[in-house]
Amino acid sequence: MSELFHINNSYESYQKIISFYQQNKDLLFDDIHISIKSWFSANMSASLGAVLDLFIDNINSIHFDHIPPKTEDILLKNGFLTFYGKEGKADINHTTIKYQKLKPTDGKYFKAYVIDELIGRSELPSMSDPLKEKMVEAIYEIFVNAQIHSKSNVIYTCGQFFPAKNKIEFTIVDTGIGFKANVDKKFNVNLHACQAIKWAVQDRNTTKDITGGIGLAVLKEFVHKNNGYMQIVSGDGFYEFNKNGEKTASFTGKFPGTIVNLQFSTNDNSNYCLASEIDINNIF
Amino acid sequence: MEERTTISIKNTIGDAYGVEAEDGQKVFELIKKAIDAGYKVTLSFLNIEMLTTAFLNTAIGQLYKDYSEQEIKASLQITDISESGKVALKRVVDTAKLFYKNPEALRNSIDDILGE
Repeated sequence: MSELFHINNSYESYQKIISFYQQNKDLLFDDIHISIKSWFSANMSASLGAVLDLFIDNINSIHFDHIPPKTEDILLKNGFLTFYGKEGKADINHTTIKYQKLKPTDGKYFKAYVIDELIGRSELPSMSDPLKEKMVEAIYEIFVNAQIHSKSNVIYTCGQFFPAKNKIEFTIVDTGIGFKANVDKKFNVNLHACQAIKWAVQDRNTTKDITGGIGLAVLKEFVHKNNGYMQIVSGDGFYEFNKNGEKTASFTGKFPGTIVNLQFSTNDNSNYCLASEIDINNIF
Repeated sequence: MEERTTISIKNTIGDAYGVEAEDGQKVFELIKKAIDAGYKVTLSFLNIEMLTTAFLNTAIGQLYKDYSEQEIKASLQITDISESGKVALKRVVDTAKLFYKNPEALRNSIDDILGE
């Protein structure tokens, strides 16, 4: 039996998911019993779902033996548990953002998902349209990064509103090759995962053969202004950026892919539509 | 008289969201085809609701690989782009110029990380 105790969006929680993966990754044709204890932050469904799918690829059966009733309620509403044989529930409070499994080619479907789950929701009156636009732009940048770089077959997404805290958490996960492998291959080096992530989030750094490397830098600027944060877990590297700066840490064991978790403040009154002084006739 | 053609991004990619790199590639190929045939290009962002830098990199940024700054200035005109799109495009263009001018810069930035 594996116990997942108090999973939020902290470094320690990602370590628990990684340890859970490491403990079970070599099982074949087996039964994996999970007990969720205390809190489970709904957006972490994306991280857990990605790990569980790797177990299922080894023909293991997943059993949720215990979930606290409140948590179960949310994981039914966001659809996560419907992937494990349970019947979903309608979300009358409208605080969940659906758990989704997408193929990298499902770009159009992802657009519809983001519109339905974020832009189109009338219960977020505190958010200005330019703020919503910036948020969606940020989420797209991450999705597109997973499409381009991860070589993953599936991209997992999930989010959650926390109305009392005026926060949204949104998570995108892949089970692809990760930051380190991409940077190492491109430059024929052997970086630590933390170094690879730190390098990749700097403006203008890219492993593509064409120009790029702007998306994550723009995202950093946005979360700074918005008083949110960006966390990246890739292999055994942890990276977090918030208004106080960036920090990195190593995990014991590796996550089999990449998690990007974004936190946005919904009560942000910053002006995101400043008239620019850019002359479009002289932009090239 | 100069020959000019207008490329609609919305029509080229099939919807209002210029977000995927692959869609940007379609726009890039169309611009390239027109420029190579001697046309001046007006690139219309009319009815585009969202842009990512990943899309703009492939659609426009990589033009700097094949053409000089002067050629691009002379051949390409942008219309109906949003304010936020303008900001993103400016960043994409500035980055592309540097990227194709100095391919060694990225290698140096790796050395910086290794040296930390």
